[in-house]
Amino acid sequence: MKDEKGFFERIHEGDEIPALTKKPTYMQLFMFSAITWNRHLIHYNTEFARGDGLRDVATHRALLGNFLAQMLSDWVGEDGKVSKVEWSVRGGAAPGDVIMCRGKVVQKVEDEKGRRIGCDIWIENEDGTLIASGKGEVALSD
Amino acid sequence: MGVFRQPPRTERSVDMGDIPAEARAMIGKERVLVYEVTKKDIRRFAQAIGDKNPLYVDEEYAKKTKYKKIIAPPLFCHAFAFEDVPAEDLREDGLPIEVDVPLPVKRAIGGASSFEVGEPISPGDTITATKKLVDIYKKTGKTGELYFIVIDTVYRNGKGAMVAREKATYIQR
Repeated sequence: MKDEKGFFERIHEGDEIPALTKKPTYMQLFMFSAITWNRHLIHYNTEFARGDGLRDVATHRALLGNFLAQMLSDWVGEDGKVSKVEWSVRGGAAPGDVIMCRGKVVQKVEDEKGRRIGCDIWIENEDGTLIASGKGEVALSD
Repeated sequence: MGVFRQPPRTERSVDMGDIPAEARAMIGKERVLVYEVTKKDIRRFAQAIGDKNPLYVDEEYAKKTKYKKIIAPPLFCHAFAFEDVPAEDLREDGLPIEVDVPLPVKRAIGGASSFEVGEPISPGDTITATKKLVDIYKKTGKTGELYFIVIDTVYRNGKGAMVAREKATYIQR
């Protein structure tokens, strides 16, 4: 195993992170509302959401962040951990949408705090419309 | 910086006089909440986000990893982001009390977050969340006035180590 290059060495600036596809459903939004005790109607009452000008109930800001974190975590695996996730909701997503989490390596850092990889991360829907975007960082284990 | 725009940085409003005094008075208020983490919390959180990583649910699997035990997904502290207040204490639309700020707007939209992940969290940990409303500001956008509410929450384990810190920005219009 030691003959092989480590994760940090294998990764280069500009590399794409393997994409993660998600299909939020009414049930998933309900489950996320429940586990976070977020009782805002906009996440489970379609009529309310439409009254607020949305197509349908809104996928939570925090759930979108968790999707991005999962993409980073699946990517780095046991070689490290997700250390930072920053994101802004752009277009939002509703149940039934097929959305794709994506990312690209922008910076590799090695200093007294250890080895880290900084990435641009984003979520887009099937026609390429931006759902959320931001930055992520993974910290490598020793 | 690639194909997408930069997230909106927390640009302060020029004039805090734009923000009603009752709302302004909430800035700096802090709440401290304590939670016990169970295997069930972690399992349900993993199911809710649709992450099938066995590290979050399977003890035998987790024992063979560097963590030696079940850990929680990176943004698990979202489970503790909103206070367990009774339903009657919430606004009719169920808006979390954390962002129920007296502003001349009612609709909550989108938002942003900066989430830092610290020490891993495992079942049995006691998490102390220190939550503070740090800023309220206004911007005028294409669709009218937007109000931004920024909440900074630091989560620590029983040893006092930081397990997460989130600076969440909620937008209302």
